[in-house]
Amino acid sequence: MTPREKAINELVRLTTEELRGADMSAQEDAVQSKSKSKIFQKYMIKDIVFLAIITACTLVTGAIMPLLVNVPLFGIIQLGLGVQFSLFPVIGMMKVRKPFALLLQSMFISIFLVFMFPPMVLLIACAFVIEVLTLIIFRGYKSDWACVFAGTLYMPTTIPLLYMYYNVFYTVSGDEKAAVSMFIGGNNVGLIIGITIAVLAVCFVGSIIGMIIARELKKAGKLK
Amino acid sequence: MAFFRYKSNLYPLIAIASALLIMVFGLVTARSIECSYFLLGALIWLIFFGCYKQVLRVLPAFIVFGGAFALIAYFSSGKNFATALAMLNRFGAVFLAIVPSMSIQAVAMTRNLSQLHTPRGITLGMLITMSFIPVLRAEIRRVREAMKTRGARSIFNPRIFYRAFLIPLVTRLVDISDTLALSIETRGFTLGKCKYTVYKKENINFMDALYLLGLIAGVVLAVVL
Repeated sequence: MTPREKAINELVRLTTEELRGADMSAQEDAVQSKSKSKIFQKYMIKDIVFLAIITACTLVTGAIMPLLVNVPLFGIIQLGLGVQFSLFPVIGMMKVRKPFALLLQSMFISIFLVFMFPPMVLLIACAFVIEVLTLIIFRGYKSDWACVFAGTLYMPTTIPLLYMYYNVFYTVSGDEKAAVSMFIGGNNVGLIIGITIAVLAVCFVGSIIGMIIARELKKAGKLK
Repeated sequence: MAFFRYKSNLYPLIAIASALLIMVFGLVTARSIECSYFLLGALIWLIFFGCYKQVLRVLPAFIVFGGAFALIAYFSSGKNFATALAMLNRFGAVFLAIVPSMSIQAVAMTRNLSQLHTPRGITLGMLITMSFIPVLRAEIRRVREAMKTRGARSIFNPRIFYRAFLIPLVTRLVDISDTLALSIETRGFTLGKCKYTVYKKENINFMDALYLLGLIAGVVLAVVL
């Protein structure tokens, strides 16, 4: 075999190997895109870690909750924590675009909320309801607006829990009845609706900021 | 014999249960003077069971915030002492419930939950969330220092806050999360269904039982007397 023939044979072999490699990578890509197109995806360690870290951010910025709990104004907790409880969860959901990301964040934070304000542990139930709604409407968190939708509704769904709180723990009697009922505003339907709209607006703003941050990080190549 | 050995740290789930008991009972009976006695008794009981450091940390915050809100309630209700006491009791219950929670170590809580076969993903997430708070504080401090170095001093300006604080902080958190995830994976941690052992098991001992029984006795006494 002449050196020329040897070189041609080597070239053919290399081309064949290259083609085979390209076929294999195409197959791998197809498998990956197939798993990505699935609604329910398996959680990886990096997903759990990021969600836990972003939950720690939510927790640290939401540490004013024990103080807000005792301010007798309807919806003060949601108004005070609306931005934090929508901004960080949205960043979490935009990085980990998998169903139940919000539910996991709620579970991680619930252990702390037990000590701050026990009724807020029902945040887990609220997160589950919102996850189901998002899955029905958007079929997952592929769209950025699905994350905004979930982030916006996350905190306002806890407002009915407040009603329970005021009725169970803040039941007023005797001399303080008039003063405290005026102070709380829990009996005023107009005020309740107004506060609910305000909470929704605050949470929407928080979610939008979260989406902008996540998009900027994605552009910088940080959120893969 | 381990059951009868003295230990200074509470069993994590018992600490959570006691925090719930203090808070719920305190909030429900906030308007009565018995609640104040109960909270005072619970405070002594917590100090007796080794939570004095946590009590010392919480006490100044309680005095400042509880006092301020009690004063607001006192004047808003037409100088009614009962309303001020109710407000003080509510704050007392909330702050006292934080004390047992502060005594729980993140790793002890994780071990406890692992013993109870809680899904690995949840225990890992809780462990990271609980132990990440000091790291987060340090990161916030670093970003603030970087802001000062660059001459961006006012954190109250939304533009500066967004560009010089929020974006660098979240970027740093993403980097930390990637490194942490890699580190966890290289240590052989998996989320799948595989056998694992708990290095140091958390067991209930007579001190935990005595602590919880004491609190329950306090509740009963406050209701009956």
